[in-house]
Amino acid sequence: MTRSRDGRRAGPAEPPSHRLPPQPGELLDRTRPLAFTWNGRAHTGIAGDTIASALAAAGVRVFSRSFKYHRPRGIMTATFLDPGVTVQVGDEPNVRGAHRRLVDGMTIEAQNVWPSLRYDVRAANQLVARFLTAGFYYKTFIKPRQLWPTYEKILARFAAGGVVSRHSSPGYYDKRYAHPDVVVAGGGPAGMGAALLAAEAGAQVMLVEEEYELGGSLRWGGAPELAVLRELRAALEAAPNVEILVNSVVAGRYDDDWVSIVQRGLPHVDERLIKARAKALVVAPGLIERPFVFEGNDLPGVMLGTAVRRLVNLYAVRPGRRAVVLTANAEGDAAVTDLERAGVEVACVLDGRRGQELRRAIGRGGLTSVELADGRRIDCDLLVVSTGWTAPTSLLNMAGGQPVYDSVAARFRPGDDLPPSVLATGGLTGDGSVEELVGHGHAVGSAAAAQAGFGSARAPEPLPMHPHPALFRAGTHGMVDFSEDVTSKDLFSAAAEGYDSSELVKRYTTATMGPSQGKLETVNTVAVLAEATERSVADLGTTVWRPPYAPITLGALAGRIFEPVRHSPMQTWHVRHGARPLVASQWIRPDHYGDPQAEARNVREGVGIIDVTPLGKLDLRGPDVPLLLNAVYVNKWSKLAIGSVRYGVMCSEGGVVMDDGVTGRLDTERYLMSTTSSGAAAVWEHLEGVLQTEHPEWQVHVTPLTTHYASINVAGPRSRALLSRLTDVDLSPEAFPYMRVRTGRVAGVDDCLMWRIGFTGELSYEIHVPASYGLHVWTTLLDRGQDLGAAPFGVEAQRILRLEKGHLVVGQDTDGMTSAIDAGLEPLVKLDKDDFVGLPELGWAHERPNQPRLVGLQPVDGRVVPAEASQIVRGTKEIVGRITSSRMSPTLGRSVCMGYVAADLAHAGSTVTVVLPSGQRIDATVMPSPCHVDPEGRRLHA
Amino acid sequence: MARARYSALGLLGHGLSQRRWSRVWRDHDLEPSYDVVIIGAGVHGLATAYYLAANHGITNVAVLDSSYLGGGGSGRNTAIVRSNYLTPEGVRFYDRSVKLYENLAAELNFNVMFSQHGHLTLAHDDGSLRTMRWRAEVNKLEGIDSEIIGRDEIQRLVPFMDVSAEARYPILGALYHPPGGTIRHDAVNWGYARAADALGVQIHQNTEVLGIDVQDGRVRGVRTNRGDVAAPVVVNCTAGWSSLVAALAGVRLPISTHPLQAAVTEPVKVFLNTVVVSGTLHVYVSQTARGELVFGASTDPYPSYSMRGSLEFTEELAGHILELMPSIARVRVLRQWAGLCDMTPDFSPIMGITPVEGFMLDVGWGTYGFKAGPVAGETMAELVATGKTPEMIASFDLARFAEGRLVGEKGAAAVGH
Amino acid sequence: MFRIPCPHCGPRNRTEFRHIGERGSRPDPRATTPEEWRGYLYGQRNASDWTAETWYHVAGCRKFVTMDRHTLTNEIRPAAGSTATVTDDGTPR
Repeated sequence: MTRSRDGRRAGPAEPPSHRLPPQPGELLDRTRPLAFTWNGRAHTGIAGDTIASALAAAGVRVFSRSFKYHRPRGIMTATFLDPGVTVQVGDEPNVRGAHRRLVDGMTIEAQNVWPSLRYDVRAANQLVARFLTAGFYYKTFIKPRQLWPTYEKILARFAAGGVVSRHSSPGYYDKRYAHPDVVVAGGGPAGMGAALLAAEAGAQVMLVEEEYELGGSLRWGGAPELAVLRELRAALEAAPNVEILVNSVVAGRYDDDWVSIVQRGLPHVDERLIKARAKALVVAPGLIERPFVFEGNDLPGVMLGTAVRRLVNLYAVRPGRRAVVLTANAEGDAAVTDLERAGVEVACVLDGRRGQELRRAIGRGGLTSVELADGRRIDCDLLVVSTGWTAPTSLLNMAGGQPVYDSVAARFRPGDDLPPSVLATGGLTGDGSVEELVGHGHAVGSAAAAQAGFGSARAPEPLPMHPHPALFRAGTHGMVDFSEDVTSKDLFSAAAEGYDSSELVKRYTTATMGPSQGKLETVNTVAVLAEATERSVADLGTTVWRPPYAPITLGALAGRIFEPVRHSPMQTWHVRHGARPLVASQWIRPDHYGDPQAEARNVREGVGIIDVTPLGKLDLRGPDVPLLLNAVYVNKWSKLAIGSVRYGVMCSEGGVVMDDGVTGRLDTERYLMSTTSSGAAAVWEHLEGVLQTEHPEWQVHVTPLTTHYASINVAGPRSRALLSRLTDVDLSPEAFPYMRVRTGRVAGVDDCLMWRIGFTGELSYEIHVPASYGLHVWTTLLDRGQDLGAAPFGVEAQRILRLEKGHLVVGQDTDGMTSAIDAGLEPLVKLDKDDFVGLPELGWAHERPNQPRLVGLQPVDGRVVPAEASQIVRGTKEIVGRITSSRMSPTLGRSVCMGYVAADLAHAGSTVTVVLPSGQRIDATVMPSPCHVDPEGRRLHA
Repeated sequence: MARARYSALGLLGHGLSQRRWSRVWRDHDLEPSYDVVIIGAGVHGLATAYYLAANHGITNVAVLDSSYLGGGGSGRNTAIVRSNYLTPEGVRFYDRSVKLYENLAAELNFNVMFSQHGHLTLAHDDGSLRTMRWRAEVNKLEGIDSEIIGRDEIQRLVPFMDVSAEARYPILGALYHPPGGTIRHDAVNWGYARAADALGVQIHQNTEVLGIDVQDGRVRGVRTNRGDVAAPVVVNCTAGWSSLVAALAGVRLPISTHPLQAAVTEPVKVFLNTVVVSGTLHVYVSQTARGELVFGASTDPYPSYSMRGSLEFTEELAGHILELMPSIARVRVLRQWAGLCDMTPDFSPIMGITPVEGFMLDVGWGTYGFKAGPVAGETMAELVATGKTPEMIASFDLARFAEGRLVGEKGAAAVGH
Repeated sequence: MFRIPCPHCGPRNRTEFRHIGERGSRPDPRATTPEEWRGYLYGQRNASDWTAETWYHVAGCRKFVTMDRHTLTNEIRPAAGSTATVTDDGTPR
């Protein structure tokens, strides 16, 4: 005989023992039975059941074990918030069992129990509960320190919560933008009334209801309530401008009525996050029934009045056999009637309005009797408690409204400080009959529509607040936060110790920090704290309500994760030819094609081509372009001749190197600026900033052309030979010297641009081709250059080549603090210019002569290639520099580096100590210049 | 005044006898004068007060806070402790803090729950990897345990991480810092408060400083909503509002205040044992022993004093977290909040004297304030007690901005955690 | 999420813009001292109050937009001294 995971013997599935005959308002479709398992045991439910109602119908009483003390828990509120019925469904943790509809074939398990729900070993905690008061861990596990990790592992075993698996299916989530005129949060009587009249006024309305059907409390009402429900529902479904979302929730209201809605129940979509810019928001969440604090109030069998009404009327479940009821309001009274109709023996009704009280609930593993205030004990398996309400004001708080405590009604209500676009209606604002609630909803709906520009109705007066006894705690101590296992005794102790404000007591005991987000706990916590510190609830107020209003999955928040990728027109060619991809923020580029050292050698000896399309390109036109260039670059640009190209460096106003590139003059008033690929957007913004905010009088137009051109650099001693086969532009050194730009036809493509620049230090031409012809020109170069040994080279080979030539890479050989002077660019900085960005800081650089300088370095042992970022030290650990770039040079057959060294070491010939990551220290020599290969640049000027 | 010590035995005793524990800190009337007034009862202010009393015997100290103690940044941060910084000064400074944190529970007799599970900073491109290497090398030279690890090791430490090459931003490596971890921030605040109170320091909650009295270039005292207080030394420890408080003394700070948001999920079974940070994706995540995932990202990209959370923060955060750990899509966010970060131009704090004699600063803490609480308290106490700026904080002086001597920490605070 | 009234595009989500900074007056670099210059570079008022700011409409018209924003409530009004006004629905005039 095997035991299932709930510890009971397995056997044939039992017929539901607590199911009632059909109820007038039930949500069940009795023609559709559903099969499911609970802790490995087979059960049947009915379509329309929630997980909790199906299990309750089958006679299950204990659904979970609490967090700290592992006390058995059952249904208490029968709503989304019910802390006792959180279960694992398949690979989905923390499913709210009293909200989630049963689906055929569901595998449901209890969470956080071992070895089984029934015989949970950690329930032993209850024996030592008196020692494990809230915050007990602050007072212990202090010594010995080394054991804290072990204690922590033990504490982690008790962590509540379901299991998320590494192999969980990711699901599908998406998002939607909406611009409704009016969003109504809550589909009870007032919410439905508001949606109806807002729609009648002409507004586009979104009506959002957390449960699977509209109606709120009308659903478990009597015949009159059900009739009102049918009428309202029909009218709403007929209204063309009302979008009804059920099983959905308004999760937050942000600045300017930016409203988030989580929509569930769509076919093919797990959850959809709707982001709505509403013109008006109507908040109609109703009231949440508040638990009563007394000893044993968390026993399975102790339920709230609305829980009983839901179970009986919506799900045809008999909640017990013999009941005691403590009622202080009409809902509790109605629960008594429902119980009697359901055949439950109501052994005793206590009227909280007349001061009748109970003392404690008694039982082990479930309720068996109730002790009244006068000492009498009544045997029962169901205790129904209806002692008060909590107003869920969170959405209003998010809109800046502060709730006000009404001591006559014993609950909070909205204050008068809401923005005009946020309105409240229904039970949240006051009390009344169904007609009065619907009527108030109507009036608020019209006012909301007026706020959105439809009609001119004004907001009505709030509903009156009816008196209600202030019942928070019986004479005994009980649970205040059921998810966190925090009792009223814990709150008293904490307050006595000095954690006596709402915020401190919450943080110390963790009350209100559980999965119900404080909706069931906050008011009782404040009330008990008020009692403990002899203040009033009004004085203490509530703690801050933080979004989201309801829990949202990471999936819904993320949606379809869009991470756009950019690549050049030649990327498919690169992939097909074995390129290893380099991810450079949004761009995917070829890093190398298998052997970067060989690629680099081929450039030095023959000709190579590289795809440099991501290079930033900006078209600059107008009579004042030289003024702009002078302003943003550190060097001089007034005399740049047509057809010439110049290298420039841009700095920030603090003198820090920001970007570099070449700019060429194509015509009298037409220039092309290039930037680094990662700096393209920032430089464009920078230019616009100067033109719009500093010099609006300058006539310059800036147009980004980065993606307009595919860019190919043809480099190596045979590059002229190759390129001359594809163009009739005169490439002779006299006609097209170094640092010049020409336009013309390349490989049959018109309007190409070529400039002779020298990042790699070889004779080279950078061709900018209209992008749609990029691949054509690329393949043509390779085809026509086969006999010349033309081959592609990637970013890695380019890095090797430029390092051999000592060309710095902004962002690698400079960082967020490097000035142009530190980077060895002083010759470029023309301090005698008019104002430019970087002046005056660059002029004051001489005040800091001891800044580390950028130099070329070569390890004495040429076989050692120090890792980039290796530190340069003096003595044991005084850091005097670091290696910023480092490669094996195929041209020299030895390692070459670039890096920073302290000013007093930065002269040619000095020896420095480099610490490799292994800890080994090697010597390196500072070179006369950062350029290791062909320092005179003969190859460049060929 | 006899103060019961916390211990397992004490827990047993109190549990058996049902005796009440003594109050953690007392309420006081505001005296007309103190030797030292500290504005801000967060971890910095409370630690400064504690060390003034414990290390220097200066107990005539008042710590004033406009709200409840530990309610500012100290109560809103995600409690990450580490010392894997970029500059040698930074490393030495934060390492001192880590050492103090390691012994703090014993010193304060309050379990601060410092879990040194390890801290991982992921690199998704070679620029980041280079910066991680830079930090590792500087750390090692200073004797701090930090190293670059590869994908296999990362997968072993974090089984839920997507280390595949198919990820949108594939992981290239990470900076692994075993002594880093998380701590219970409220416990640190309460521990310092309780210990300082036991030594005679007065903590005044709900006491707002409305003005700072400066005459002839020196501070004379403060004006509060509960009365005026004379003091020759006033220390500004009000992270999040430090510009506003400094302005009361006529001191302008190079600070821009930005919200920093965070979010927490419902609990799930513990599956993550290290703190994971990604600079490229601008997110970080850790999991508490209770099973909640705690997330954060970078500061809001515009200055604000609002502590309301935004939807776009959680959207972006969730997207990036799922890029790192795709299988946790069903876990639900329970709440989000924000604190305020005082950002300086060089991502380093501003500590020490000001042109107003007696008015001192412990500000500019950006996104790295909580981890520095103990060392900041220790050094500020030394400055106040001796009148000399300790070597360890000499490079964090206010004068450095006018003198162009910025500290180079930007590389270490990519996401700032 | 608050909206920023772009003079060209109307009220647009904040996420379409990049915050540039407080509008301050830039000293003449030829005539300034290091202390004054660095005060301009690094010092901002950083008040919890109406602040004169510049934002850049990076995901829209790419214009630099000036306005006053209250740094606690994120309310926005036209920059002091400008002739722009804003209608009830946030559209600039």
